[in-house]
Order: sequence, then structure tokens, then C-alpha cells
Amino acid sequence: MNVPTELRYTKTHEWVRLDKGVATIGITDFAQEQLGDLTYVELPTVGDNVEAQSEVAVVESVKAAADIYAPVAGTIAEINKKLMDQPELVNSDPFGDGWLFKLRPDDASEIDMLLDADQYEDMIPEAEE
Amino acid sequence: MKAWAVFFDAPLPYARGVEIQERLHAARLADQIPDVVLLLEHTPVVTLGQRGRHDGVRVSAERLRALGVDLARASRGGNVTFHGPGQCVLYPILRLGSQEADAHGYLYNLEEVAIRTAGDFGIRAYRREGKNGAWTDDGKIAAIGFRLKRWVTLHGMSFNVDIDLAGFDLIIPCGLIGERVSSLQRLLGEKSPSVAQVGARLAHHFSEICGRELDVFRVDKDLPADLKPLFA
Repeated sequence: MNVPTELRYTKTHEWVRLDKGVATIGITDFAQEQLGDLTYVELPTVGDNVEAQSEVAVVESVKAAADIYAPVAGTIAEINKKLMDQPELVNSDPFGDGWLFKLRPDDASEIDMLLDADQYEDMIPEAEE
Repeated sequence: MKAWAVFFDAPLPYARGVEIQERLHAARLADQIPDVVLLLEHTPVVTLGQRGRHDGVRVSAERLRALGVDLARASRGGNVTFHGPGQCVLYPILRLGSQEADAHGYLYNLEEVAIRTAGDFGIRAYRREGKNGAWTDDGKIAAIGFRLKRWVTLHGMSFNVDIDLAGFDLIIPCGLIGERVSSLQRLLGEKSPSVAQVGARLAHHFSEICGRELDVFRVDKDLPADLKPLFA
């Protein structure tokens, strides 16, 4: 299971990358694998103020629907419009082109309190192979 | 890892099933209870998934009412489906991804539960590329649709035992035009098992595949007193 070490993680399987005061958020490799091939992604509106842990997006595969949560409080700065036509990018490149939205955190230091890669890796099951 | 399996004897209206699942989901999130799996039948109902569309229903709402079939929207993934007596429904309320055996993915695991259960009764069921659920040469035998809220699952799988398949003529199952729906009874005739027998096998395979050791209860008989409010 791919868990990049430079990112922060949540218990609900989102990842967070902080760059110049803006946090990019997506779902982890584990999360996309659990859901299967995505068919639809519902994203928030740019400018929305969101609370930490609030529901901000929904991802759907052929048979599953999953809520996505804001890892920290802030303002939605950008959404990944490519996902409207290509939701499968979340499966093929969850940590790259499959990012979901960007958020300007109210307090960027809150991101340091999220899980690091080791802590997140401890939380997810071992692969059976 | 321990979990509860709770069997229902009488068919349950769909809305009641949702209410109980939501209560269990809240209790599971708060770590007041372990993972739970419900095994039940529904009274007749057509349900539309999160993005299910009304054009997947072939008849009017009035016609459904006249037939005694409810119509409900469900927060699960997937399209339109039909539930009724003679179909074994499995609703696992599971926390996914906390050091447990979910390595293949939850959807794959649910399909595996259905495939092995069909196998127990001599029916070869299999996956089809791009079409979820469990399929036989005669059509789809198990449908899957679930929801993850804070990575605790809701909804799940339905497995056709001796359900009246005419119910599926009211809809375009899963939005797939021209695909057949089958049942154990249609495949096995008089040798078809009861819903209770199938429920027991589903619980058995669920326990093995999803790595949960089950404490089994019957909702109207031996439910411990402290659990009763969750099922009231």
C-alpha cells in the first residue's frame, strides 16, 4: 500500500499536502481501493467556509457512496474540475492528479496535528499478499 | 475481532431497517458497540440509490402502491433495486480499515460472501467485469450497494432465495437493460433452501472473509437487554 511520507493523513482516509499556505486534499490509495472504480465525484463550491470534520464531498463508485470530510477548518480555494469528466483519476493517481479540492486553512498549524505517514500506516490493514 | 450477528424473523419495512442501521451506525461510531451484521428480509420495496433515477422504475408510484410495494430513496451507492420476502438481506455496520482483514476491498469481500454461499447450494456464481454483485449463468443472484459514513458501512447486500422475481419486472435492476435476475429457487426448483438456511451460510462466510467472530442473536428472542433499545 502506497503511503507517501511527506503527507499528513486523517482517520477517515483523506491525505493533506500543505504548500504555501494552501492545503491540497485527496483520498488515500487504501480508500480508493476499498471503494473500487469511481463513477462520480461531488465537490464543494469554491469560497465555502468549512468546519473541521464536516462533510464536504461525496465520492461514488459503481456500488459505494462515501462521504469525504474537511481535515481542518478553512475556505475552499479550488476544486479539481477534471474529476467531473474523469473521476477514475482518483483510482489511477490518488495522491497526484486525483486530488479533490484545495483549502485555505484558518489555522495552518492544525495540519501538523494530523496523522503522519507512520501513524496512518499503523491504522490500515496489512495487505494479505 | 468480535462482532454481533442479529437475525430478524419477520420481514421488516425498509424504513425500519434504515432507522435501525442509523442507530447502530451512531453507536458504532461512538464505540459503544462492536461491528454488527443484520440479516433480514424486507417487505416489498423498490429503492433508488444515491444517484438512482426514477426512469429505472417502469411503473407509476400509484401502481406500486396498488401492488403493496413501497418506494424509497436509499443513501447507498448504486441504482434501483427491489427487495421483498424470500430475499436474504445482509447489512453490515463495520468500521473499515482499523487493522482488520479488508485488504481486498469491502466490495470484493461482499461479492465473495455471495459467491461462496451460492456454491454451498451447488450454484456456480461469479464476478463480471465492470458489473458488481454475484452472477450466475441465469442472471444476477446478489446485488450490492453500500454507504460509508466516517468509514463505518451502511446498507450492504441482498441475495435472492425464493423471492417473487416478478418484483424485478417493476424496475430496470441496477439500471442494466436486458440483464436477468435469478434466485436459488429458480435455479434449484424444489431443492431450493430456505431463507434461514441461506442466512446462516451468509453469516458463516461473512465471518470468515471479513474476519469477524460472530455472537449470534435473534431479535425477538435472545437479544441481551442492553441491546434492545437499539432495535426498538
